Amino acid sequence: MKNYINLKKIRSVLNGLSGLKTVIFCLLALNLISLSAIYSSLHQAGEFIGQEIIFKQIIWMLISWVALAVFSFINYRIYFNISYFLYTFNILLLIVVYFFGKSAMGAQRWLSIFGFTFQPSELSKVAVIIVLARIFSFTQNKGFLKGFLFPLVITAINALIIFKQPDLGTALVLIFLFLLIGFFSKVPKVYFITFILICSAFSPLAFNALKDYQKKRLLVFINPDADPLGSGYTIIQSKIAIGSGKFFGKGFLSGTQNQFNFLPERHTDFIFTVIAEEWGLAGSIFLIMIYWLILSKILQLAKKIQDPFGYFLCLGISALLFSHVFINIGMTLGVLPVVGIPLIFLSYGGTSLLISYILMGIFLNVYKR
Amino acid sequence: MKKYWKEKQNGRRSFPSSGLMILYFGGFLFLTVVLFFYQGINGKYYFQRAKNNYVKVIPLFSIRGSIFDKNGVLLAYDKAAFNLSVIPYQIRDTKDSLFKEISKSLGRDTAEIYRNYSRNFLNYFSPVNIVLDIDKRAALDIQEKLGSKVLINPQPQRHYPYSYEFSHVIGYVKKVSSFYEELKQYGYSPLERAGFSGIEQYYDSYLQGESGGRLIEVDAGGRVVGFLGQLISKKGKDIRLSIDSRIQREAYRSLSGKKGVIILINSANGQILALCSLPSFDANNFIKGKGLSRLFDDPACPLINRAIQSTYPLGSVFKPIEAAGALEEGLITPHTTFVCDGQFKLGSAVFRCSHIHGPQDLYQALAHSCNIYFYNLSLISGSDFLSRWAKNFGLDSLTGVDLAFEKKGFIPTRKWKEKKLETPWYAGDTLNFSIGQGFINSTPIEILTAMNVFASQGYIIIPHLLEEVGGIPSGISSKTYIGVSQNNLDAIRSGLRKAVAEDSGTAHILERLGIKMAGKTGTAQNRGASHAWFAGYFNSQGNDYTICVFLENGGSSYEAVKITYKFLKKILEGKLI
Repeated sequence: MKNYINLKKIRSVLNGLSGLKTVIFCLLALNLISLSAIYSSLHQAGEFIGQEIIFKQIIWMLISWVALAVFSFINYRIYFNISYFLYTFNILLLIVVYFFGKSAMGAQRWLSIFGFTFQPSELSKVAVIIVLARIFSFTQNKGFLKGFLFPLVITAINALIIFKQPDLGTALVLIFLFLLIGFFSKVPKVYFITFILICSAFSPLAFNALKDYQKKRLLVFINPDADPLGSGYTIIQSKIAIGSGKFFGKGFLSGTQNQFNFLPERHTDFIFTVIAEEWGLAGSIFLIMIYWLILSKILQLAKKIQDPFGYFLCLGISALLFSHVFINIGMTLGVLPVVGIPLIFLSYGGTSLLISYILMGIFLNVYKR
Repeated sequence: MKKYWKEKQNGRRSFPSSGLMILYFGGFLFLTVVLFFYQGINGKYYFQRAKNNYVKVIPLFSIRGSIFDKNGVLLAYDKAAFNLSVIPYQIRDTKDSLFKEISKSLGRDTAEIYRNYSRNFLNYFSPVNIVLDIDKRAALDIQEKLGSKVLINPQPQRHYPYSYEFSHVIGYVKKVSSFYEELKQYGYSPLERAGFSGIEQYYDSYLQGESGGRLIEVDAGGRVVGFLGQLISKKGKDIRLSIDSRIQREAYRSLSGKKGVIILINSANGQILALCSLPSFDANNFIKGKGLSRLFDDPACPLINRAIQSTYPLGSVFKPIEAAGALEEGLITPHTTFVCDGQFKLGSAVFRCSHIHGPQDLYQALAHSCNIYFYNLSLISGSDFLSRWAKNFGLDSLTGVDLAFEKKGFIPTRKWKEKKLETPWYAGDTLNFSIGQGFINSTPIEILTAMNVFASQGYIIIPHLLEEVGGIPSGISSKTYIGVSQNNLDAIRSGLRKAVAEDSGTAHILERLGIKMAGKTGTAQNRGASHAWFAGYFNSQGNDYTICVFLENGGSSYEAVKITYKFLKKILEGKLI
């Protein structure tokens, strides 16, 4: 029998592609997917209604590529030295936004600079990754206080301020970064496991600290039909949209859930539903494979790195990427609660895109060295 | 302690990352499996749900045919009603304040709005009527004030101008959804209206017309964003009835304040000129959904059409039926005489008559309604004879009048009593039966049909209301010969005539009308006050008419005769017949 798909050949081609080229290629593909999905999501009943938004996103993409290029030339070791400064600056920004920020949809997350709104909580992700990479990059166990409690407090302060904005999703991502980077450091794993156990035990208490709408989202996650018009609505409609795409989708600009406005926030947090509805299972899996390709390239590189700081930077970047993709798609599918996290590289939103590209730029610099 | 940084042979360090690889891969694999579950396995289901989301059918209700009386007076028609509706999804957060505002500006009860909302709710994206039938001005005002939060949709609404007089004849319309289970086999859709009781139900297939619909695309706010096609609705056919609204209203007036029935038909062809049952109700209440519980709870049962839906003991109106049978079977001749001394002894029991009539032949017995005569006759004939002739005159079958929910009367038989009541049939039962008492029960329209046999020279004629459908005469007329010879019929007819014509006749006051009235009175005993009957026929302007007047717990038959007099006097004076 003839082998139609020559796996060996494909593998050799993929291996032959350098990590750099693969990542750039993937990012370009994601740009195209992002623009087409946002373009489609801005249609209502066949009418395009969001020129402004799509132009903004294109501008942000261009800025992001420039930033990626710039950061890929900056020696990443610099971050080791400025990590605490960066962290402090980020905390100050968060405090500023807490008091003077622009609020939207009940949350104060934005700072307005020259007409462009900026979300400091996105910067936190970079700052926390860098600071954690620095702390955990020591090659010996530094004990409980310095090795575990100190980075925990650093992360927790940041997460707490963001949680107060309120932005539960990003706060959880920061905690996830701490656990994941820490887990691969020299700090005994017992600490982390105990920490997770204690957190789970106290989660009912934490539930009470949530805002009403966050509580609702969590409850609705357990049973979406409890409130089909209120907080359950998003999940139900999102599931319908994804499911109705079937194997090959309804076609570009033909997603009825999208076109007829049944999906809220579909050019931001729920962009995946638009893709899944219009391109079906095939499109969804294709998209996940692109993310997987980027992740695997980052991890492949991380294995070869000699510098612990670079290694932990890569871990942090990969963890951030993974958690965004996993939580975002998970929440659109209703298997994770709706916590308001954008789909990295795809969702509309300038700051998020810029920060992701800066992180990729840092990664490329690590890669080059 | 585990070693984290492995030293490789060439001195380069290698960090662990395969654990992460597995974590990431597992996570993505999990997402893929869930995606496959939704898009692959359940894709069809979600596809259908997505379709249901945005494709909506907006029903275009057909306009129902109008109902006219004999002279073209409108009795029921559709008018445009302006209903206020909302889209649940659109108002999900502002429902309470919006309802309060609407109730304030329209002066409607908030509770009523909530009730309508929950009753008419279909799904989150279809308009729900919350205030029914507001006038056009108010509708435009509120639309201006509240903008797109409310929708004003004109819908055909049934209206009954002479509601109290005609409710039992015409019936009313109901949303099919309230009795959908019974109707879905006939192809009704739950949003349509269907006739309920009376003409509206009986001739629903003519009146209904064909509903259409618009297939539209809506967005999540329920706004129409696309149009896929439509089926135009067709108006139902108009119906003209034989009923004369002037006579009907006169009948209603004559009965006012009483519980009772007046039915007047053309003896020759069964056309109903008046069919009135009191107490009555306003059918418009059912259209507006107002004050219904009061109607259902009323102990006087205004919703029951007593003319066709209630059965009562007959009393003496049964006597001519029995007499006709006895003549036909040769048990008696018109000249057979029994002596009435006011009472009749059967064993230790005593059965009484109203007067001491002395010797009575058949004519006198009918004129005076002498019980003793019929007691004696029944002892000769036996109870099977009585059951047989009651049956021949149709007292246990539906008359076939074209109204919904007709009930039939009941005729006892010896076998029935032995089987059901497990007691033997006594001679006393036969005596009671012979004067229309005991177990026998009939509806007023059955009595009318039976009396009409004498008026029409021996035919059972189905009384009916329909005269024209869509301008085409219905041609309904059904005659069944009862099998009583003309001589015998004439004998009964002269007995019935004497009841009016003779000074001692039980309905003598009717002679004053000057229309050669003939008839039979009846005072039917029951647990409460006696029911009063009069059934008879007369000739006016060359046409024969048969009338039945019944008063529930009316006291004595004289009351029924008085009502008959009052009613006929009015319509004769008005030259209505």
